[in-house]
Amino acid sequence: MTTATAVLDARGLTKSFDGHPVLQGLDLQVREGEFIAVMGPSGSGKSTLLYNISGMDTMTGGNVHFAGQDLGSLNQKQLARLRLTTMGFIFQHVYLLKNLCLLDNIVLPAYLAGLAPRHELNQRALALMERAGVAGLADRDVTQASGGQLQRIGICRALINRPQILFGDEPTGALDSTAASEIMDILGELNAEGTTIMLVTHDPKVAAHTSRVIFLVDGRIVGDRQQDPYTGTGLDQRQHDLTAWLLQHGF
Amino acid sequence: MNLGSRPDSVAPPGKVHVDAADADSREHGHRDRGRLRLGPRAGGLGMYGRMAVRDFSRNRSVTAALVVLMMLSVMLGTASAGTLVRLIGASSDLMTRADAPHVAQLHAGEFDQQAVDRWVAGRSEVLHHQTMLMLGIDGANLLFDGEPQTASIQQNSLVVPNTQRDLLLDLDNRPITEVAPGSIVLPVYHQVESSLEVGDTVRITAADGFAIDLTISGFARDSIMNPAIASSKRLAVAASDLEEVRAHTGEVEHLVEFWLHDPATQTAGFTRAYQDAGLPQAGPMVDSRTFRLLTMIGDGMVAAVVILVSMLLLLVGLLCLRFSFLTAVEQDYREIGVLKAIGVAPRDIRHIYLTKYALLAGMASLVGLLAGLAVIPLLTRNITRYMGTASGLANWIVPGLAAALIFVALVLFMLVLLRRFNRISAVTALRAGATSQPRAARLRLHRSRLPVQLRLGTMDVVGRWPVYLLLFFVFAVSTFIMIVPVNSATTATDPAFINYMGVGTVDVRLDLRHDDASSQEQFERAVAQLRSEPDVAAISPMVTTRHDTLDREGIPASLYIENGDHRLLPLTYADGRAPTDSSEIAMSLLALHQSGRTVGDSVPITVGGQVNDLTIVGSYQDITHGGSTAKSVLPTDGEEIMWYVIGVQLAPGTDATATAQALGRDLAPARVAAIEQWQAQTLGPIADQITIAAGVSALVAIALAVLMTALFARMLLARDAGPIAIQRAIGADDTGLRQQYLTRILLVLLLGVTVGTLAANTLGERLFNLMFEAMFGGFDMLFQGTSRIDFAINPLLAYLLLPVVLLGAVTAAIVASSRSISTASISSLTTE
Repeated sequence: MTTATAVLDARGLTKSFDGHPVLQGLDLQVREGEFIAVMGPSGSGKSTLLYNISGMDTMTGGNVHFAGQDLGSLNQKQLARLRLTTMGFIFQHVYLLKNLCLLDNIVLPAYLAGLAPRHELNQRALALMERAGVAGLADRDVTQASGGQLQRIGICRALINRPQILFGDEPTGALDSTAASEIMDILGELNAEGTTIMLVTHDPKVAAHTSRVIFLVDGRIVGDRQQDPYTGTGLDQRQHDLTAWLLQHGF
Repeated sequence: MNLGSRPDSVAPPGKVHVDAADADSREHGHRDRGRLRLGPRAGGLGMYGRMAVRDFSRNRSVTAALVVLMMLSVMLGTASAGTLVRLIGASSDLMTRADAPHVAQLHAGEFDQQAVDRWVAGRSEVLHHQTMLMLGIDGANLLFDGEPQTASIQQNSLVVPNTQRDLLLDLDNRPITEVAPGSIVLPVYHQVESSLEVGDTVRITAADGFAIDLTISGFARDSIMNPAIASSKRLAVAASDLEEVRAHTGEVEHLVEFWLHDPATQTAGFTRAYQDAGLPQAGPMVDSRTFRLLTMIGDGMVAAVVILVSMLLLLVGLLCLRFSFLTAVEQDYREIGVLKAIGVAPRDIRHIYLTKYALLAGMASLVGLLAGLAVIPLLTRNITRYMGTASGLANWIVPGLAAALIFVALVLFMLVLLRRFNRISAVTALRAGATSQPRAARLRLHRSRLPVQLRLGTMDVVGRWPVYLLLFFVFAVSTFIMIVPVNSATTATDPAFINYMGVGTVDVRLDLRHDDASSQEQFERAVAQLRSEPDVAAISPMVTTRHDTLDREGIPASLYIENGDHRLLPLTYADGRAPTDSSEIAMSLLALHQSGRTVGDSVPITVGGQVNDLTIVGSYQDITHGGSTAKSVLPTDGEEIMWYVIGVQLAPGTDATATAQALGRDLAPARVAAIEQWQAQTLGPIADQITIAAGVSALVAIALAVLMTALFARMLLARDAGPIAIQRAIGADDTGLRQQYLTRILLVLLLGVTVGTLAANTLGERLFNLMFEAMFGGFDMLFQGTSRIDFAINPLLAYLLLPVVLLGAVTAAIVASSRSISTASISSLTTE
């Protein structure tokens, strides 16, 4: 992994809300193909980190380079374009648009990016749905699917523009354990195929699926753990080891 | 839990922080602004007041728009009520002070006073009668400040003012019973229209070289001939001056006036009895209802327009109230659930909202009332000038009542809205967190070829149409109140409007009243001369005679029938065609209605002493001669001739005004006027007032649309904070999002303008006709179809310019309000 190039490089990243510091001079490198879990207690700045390195929020200090571009030098329109074409996002509550059907929710970012003819994009979306196990739900409304199904739709939407990196903010937080496990399996497969993934989570079981765990306290990285890629077996042991490590760092 | 609010936002000590919002409510776009903070002194009115104040500051723009709307509605309601009460008051006051006659008959030619006296002696219903001598002065012989009055269509007559009844009043509404020799008192009409002042000179000349200069010593209000639409004017002079002028020029007429014991019930019978008695009647007969109507038309129309606008505004205000109320309830839904869960009675919850909205409505009504009272003098300037001001408590009580009524309507509407609270259960409110879920659209993005934001905007409008209903209504109403008055104004000033004055497409019109046998000669001479004029392309000479007929109840009635070849210079018939021989008749819509017949029926008309059944072959609109006329081709010899009209069509390129002036000099005493001039002088003042009303309502409409768009866009953006943040998170940029919002509102605008324009040209046209029906037939004629005027629409103005102005104003409002779109971001929706 260390030989891979860094897709994302944050230096001295700070963020304050009303003078209250949430991220305090944080350095972080994300390399191509990594599967990272960001953990930490409530208020430690996990989600803030995610939104700042993805350009969704404006940092107070420091700089972030993504795919060779300095995010701080881009205007809102350029940032939006960058997010649209190179990043994918999955959220705890999915955040689908309720006035669109599920397929429309998936194709919307692709239409906005306009990188391929629409019929091609529709085909791509259907293929992703098939792959995520939600084929057949294309024409359904948001209210006509379960939480697990909606999260899979969210993943399809995040992948529709073939992003360089996939960000997840507690993607399994609102799901039951079975659905959560299925989502993590999908993400594991995507990573195995080369997609860089960075998740925020407070669940050691989720983090046990990843290959790197970053532990945040009061806006600072207090622990950075490399672990072997998860191959589908020994999850309990991985979780046990990770928990022990987390406890060492004050979890 | 700290839900997206900053780490330092902690409930102040000593306060119960009821905060039920959680991550789920974030998903619905709820912000922490929606929380209720109950202080330690919670309970009692103080708390409700504080909550209301907190709510105002939370929804400042909504509250402001709501207050402005309610205020405007109260202001216009108050102003229109004030205008009406002053109009009615001033007109009654004028009639009473002047002791206006109940019936008046103008007669030109030989006059037998004794015959009238003898007849009156046998009529018990007559209280008084008197005859006033009027000396008609030809416009060419009458000069105001050196300016001959040839172009004026007013028939100016010198009179010696009455001393007992039918008094002329000065500008303080005191009777003018005497005019000093060498001076003259002119009607207010001339003061206004010719910009004359006291001290100016009026010169009267005669063909024999006679000339007399009279100094204007004052201006008079005339209870029966005040407005422009009454085409006779009385100019008061001393008896000696009148005699001097009479020796050289002028045409003597007599105005026979009657006062009845009970005019309400006796007028109709009396007028018919007079007409049947063979008494002097070479001229129009009018009664007090007509005087009053003529007096009130113009200002009444302005008041009607203002009332219409105020009612529409009230309607929009109520809708806005509902919208703002629903938004507030949606924001507070969970809190309402909490209040219910902890045992607060629904009545108390309702009290909170009622306090808030009643406070707003009360404030708006008070300010609106004061503003309305301030506007009344502007709207009543014309009334004050022509009729004076009637002082009275009603002038203040009625506007106050109007404001109070609107306030009560607002509060009642709120009470109806508040019943909704009974339907909210604590559990569902806590669980759901929002009253309405966005509906899934039937439209699909992935099946569309439209640009994404355009499609998303369209889908939102289709999927959530109830949300846009208010805005749609506002745009439709704005268009309506912008276009109807403008169309009314263009119609009244359109050359084609002449069609509705019983005249075909002519360039010049000649009017001659039948006084005696010499009138007929003058008419024939005029016809002969017109036929020989090289500039005249065609003429249509018409002789109007009076005939007896039966009305819808079978009661004998009079009908003025215009005889001649109606195929020459024809007018547009509402139904059927022009009569071609003496067995056929065409009737004005009002006359037709009064006869109780329809086109195709026959109507009994007395011709040559015999009752003939004439077939009704056509109907047409006529707003002249009280609106009740007919056309036929009857023999006029031996009939009672009333007047002559010759329609003249000029050769192309001929100057109508100059020709009319030249003809007027040659053919005196016939009055000749270019048709545009004639129209401008009869309808001009009314058209001017409608034009002013049109301008004002266009401004109100645009202001309303802009205000409501700004308000709505802000509310929509606040409501859609969630979806906006989501779209931004997945990569939509602000330009795109703005396009989407622009699409939504412009789509609604387009629909609203279309519906508004359609309504303006159908319903608006109907309203315009109702106005004319009431104007000419009185309230009995409302909805009887006696007026069928088509709007003369200026397409450039009505279909392009006005909608484009509205579009531009609304677009500017959306662009300005969509700036706040930048604040919504996904991190504000997300929990840590």
